[in-house]
Amino acid sequence: MPFREDQLAQRIVKPKTNLGPGFWPVTALIVVVSAIMVYLVETSPLPIGLVQAGAPADSVDALFRFLGAVAAVIFNIVTIYTIYFGIVFAAPKNAPPNAIGVQIHDAPVLEFWWTAIPTILVIVLSIYSVKIWADLQNTAGDVLTLEAIGYQFGFQFRYPKLANPTTELHLPIGTPTTIHVTSRDVIHGFWLPEFRIKVDMVPGLVNTVRITPTRLGTYRVVCSEFCGVLHGAMAGKVVVENQQDFAKWFAQQGGAQAAGGNGGVSAIPLASGTVAAGQTLFGQKCSACHSVGPFDQKQVGPGLGHIFSDPAHPKLVDGADPTPQNAAKIIHDGYQGDIGTMPSAQVNGLSNADIANLVAYLVSLSKK
Amino acid sequence: MATLAPGVKTGPYHAVLDHIHPAPTSFIRKYIFSIDHKIIGIQYMITAGLFFIIAGLMAELIRTQLLSPKGAIVSAATFNAIYSMHGTTMVWFVVIPLLTGAFGNFVMPLQIGARDVAFPWLNLVSYWIFPVAGVLLFSSFLIGAPDAGWTEYPPISVMGPPGTSMWCVAVFLIGISSTLTGINFTVTILKMRAPGMTFTRMPLFVWAQFATSPMLLIATTALNGALGALFLQREFHIPFYDPAHGGSPVLWQHMFWFYSHPAVYIMILPAFGFISEILPTFARKPVFGYKMIAFSTVMIALLSFAVWAHHMFTSGMVPWLQLPFMIITMVIAIPTGIKIFSWMATLWGGSIRWTTAMLFATGFLITFSFGGLTGFFLAAVPADYHEHGTYFVVAHLHYVLFGGSMMGLFAALYYWFPKMCGRMMNEKLGLWHFWLVFIGFNGTFIPLHWLGLLGMPRRVAIYDPQYQFWNVVATSFSYLMTFAILLMFINLLWSLRSGKKAGPNPWGARTLEWMISSPAPYYNFKKIPAVLAAPYDFGNPLPYIGLDAAPGAEEATPTHVSHPVPTY
Repeated sequence: MPFREDQLAQRIVKPKTNLGPGFWPVTALIVVVSAIMVYLVETSPLPIGLVQAGAPADSVDALFRFLGAVAAVIFNIVTIYTIYFGIVFAAPKNAPPNAIGVQIHDAPVLEFWWTAIPTILVIVLSIYSVKIWADLQNTAGDVLTLEAIGYQFGFQFRYPKLANPTTELHLPIGTPTTIHVTSRDVIHGFWLPEFRIKVDMVPGLVNTVRITPTRLGTYRVVCSEFCGVLHGAMAGKVVVENQQDFAKWFAQQGGAQAAGGNGGVSAIPLASGTVAAGQTLFGQKCSACHSVGPFDQKQVGPGLGHIFSDPAHPKLVDGADPTPQNAAKIIHDGYQGDIGTMPSAQVNGLSNADIANLVAYLVSLSKK
Repeated sequence: MATLAPGVKTGPYHAVLDHIHPAPTSFIRKYIFSIDHKIIGIQYMITAGLFFIIAGLMAELIRTQLLSPKGAIVSAATFNAIYSMHGTTMVWFVVIPLLTGAFGNFVMPLQIGARDVAFPWLNLVSYWIFPVAGVLLFSSFLIGAPDAGWTEYPPISVMGPPGTSMWCVAVFLIGISSTLTGINFTVTILKMRAPGMTFTRMPLFVWAQFATSPMLLIATTALNGALGALFLQREFHIPFYDPAHGGSPVLWQHMFWFYSHPAVYIMILPAFGFISEILPTFARKPVFGYKMIAFSTVMIALLSFAVWAHHMFTSGMVPWLQLPFMIITMVIAIPTGIKIFSWMATLWGGSIRWTTAMLFATGFLITFSFGGLTGFFLAAVPADYHEHGTYFVVAHLHYVLFGGSMMGLFAALYYWFPKMCGRMMNEKLGLWHFWLVFIGFNGTFIPLHWLGLLGMPRRVAIYDPQYQFWNVVATSFSYLMTFAILLMFINLLWSLRSGKKAGPNPWGARTLEWMISSPAPYYNFKKIPAVLAAPYDFGNPLPYIGLDAAPGAEEATPTHVSHPVPTY
């Protein structure tokens, strides 16, 4: 194959007929190996070898299969041809020092195709990824909505109608579940490997994941963002159980509430709140986002100076009547809606007594 | 001026080019505070080489710790500091300085036929910031080294040990050094190419530096802004990243990745340049699709500024915004694919000499392609929801940074060592180095993909015992890799003393740096040559005029006006 420099004038380059010995058999090898790999990837029930505990694991695994098949084919083409060219076109030991290769600079047709085919591939992959992404975003319904809160070094879960946070995430099988996640201190990751979904728990921000458990069992919640010394040990439990077991567990948690007796919006001792304590607390906890001016004097959230007596805003932001109880409810539960997001009292570190003080302060503002 | 080719524009600068300065004679001016781009390049290489040894040993500590799920040797806190410093050092103190600082400085001016870079004194400043920043970084171990990873996300980095502030300052300094180099190289390539070297006649490594330098200039500013803010928050409690006071932790992530994604390409484009030089030299044929390779280099550089948020798909942003970032990320695969296919076509029909440099360049093709393909898995948003923050990411980034940048750097070392030192490196040891690194590297990082997919998060000092087996496999292969790199250092030291003498052009290459003696003389070119064509036409006469000492050049008058760096 090698030409010598002094033969340059006589040589004729015919790239099409001169592909090299064994080019087509090697191409056939690539096709066969790729076909086998694509078959294995596409028919594998669990392409990454991890069980599926529920949606969206199935959709994400389908994407993994597709990506795996495409990657396998491209990798085979690159690797096998590279090794083959390396062997076939190696200069013989006795090649003269001025031996040269085929002097070819480009081949526009070839270059067109190896630009066009990857472009088509990128378009297909993008469309497929967007489709699966849309499935994830539009998961139907959220029968159960709860909150997950990360802290150094563990997870807490807050269920509606359950006063105390739980340390385990229990989910009734087949129930579309929306989980709002945030963090109390640093950034944590909320990863459910068996569900193939993850979102960061960022202080001051509420992120959302939607899952639908479909397989009974106990799975892991893993922290996936570095959060401190014990990051590696930060893990929680997801228990997927049938409706009866879930109801039983839920009742047990509620039992804890009765025994502890310090939870729930209705348990907030509004009457005992004092304006002075509320004012101090407002300065520490609320004034970063809220002014004490009129509603429109917005910082991060609306101004809270006249919430109980504002003709322009006859309802609270959640549409409830402006009563102290309803205001206490917003502070307790947090708020998420058109105008922004406010973390719950739990995340803000407010006790029920604190809420009572704050409400007393807000009421005093509106009277002025 | 008679030496210029017909049709090559001449100008008043050519008269100036006849003056050659005498080489500095004092040791300090010659080797310590040198303004010679070649010495500065070698200084970068030695300094970054030392940091490479330190960071490599840290990597071994990391792998050894992970032999046991409970942590085999050090405490979790120490482990966190070690992996944070490993990442920081490798990115800012090894890979970037080696690619642009060492090889950019040494090779690029020679390849464009210049006597030095545009601003030699600025170059000296760029270099000397680098070891100072390094000393600052490592002295943070004395007061508590940073422990939140090389990305140092707040709020955890705000709470981190005191050394985190020193980390900010050290990386800030290295950022300034990068920016200065960016300015310097951009001007050098724009203004100081030899007469006749049009853009389409530039060697492809120069193209790579030409695309990289503006990126250094633009992207690093964002990083330094973010670092300044982090420092101010840590030391003066200005709450840039504190949500309780109106700041946002996600702000840091945006600023950081606005730098660090272009930085990914700052760390790979020059390596692409190495491959584009080495493959044609040893295949003895023109690089295939010169214009497409150059074009795709620029495309990658431009696109790299529009993809940063693909590191943040799980951080919390408007959901639809994930889609443009995903699609643009995937689009980068097209110019990258063009390069890979063009390099494969360069091998086709060659008369290939399997030197160590060539082996590394070909190994790069395979390992980098693998890393590029796993990039697809991370770009696709729904798949990234599973992979983000896991060992899959660790595996992917090492495939592109070690399998890409480092393999490229090894190739470049074997390739340009004769020009730097006038001696050849030992090919037998080189072969061992290549094969052991290739096996060791793949053995270390392939298992990590699985660990990540199966549920092992990154940056953990202790982990679930179910992952132990593959961790032990990875660690065992990493020892092999370390041994291979030890061989490289032995080879380096041995060759420095007793390597075979290299002539001016031991590889039969055709770019300008091989047209002068080895090691390159102080003044590089006695006469600035004129360039008639792109450098890759093997078998044709060399496309240079005026290479040999032209009459009168030897008597060129030494002057003391300034360093001989006329620009045009």
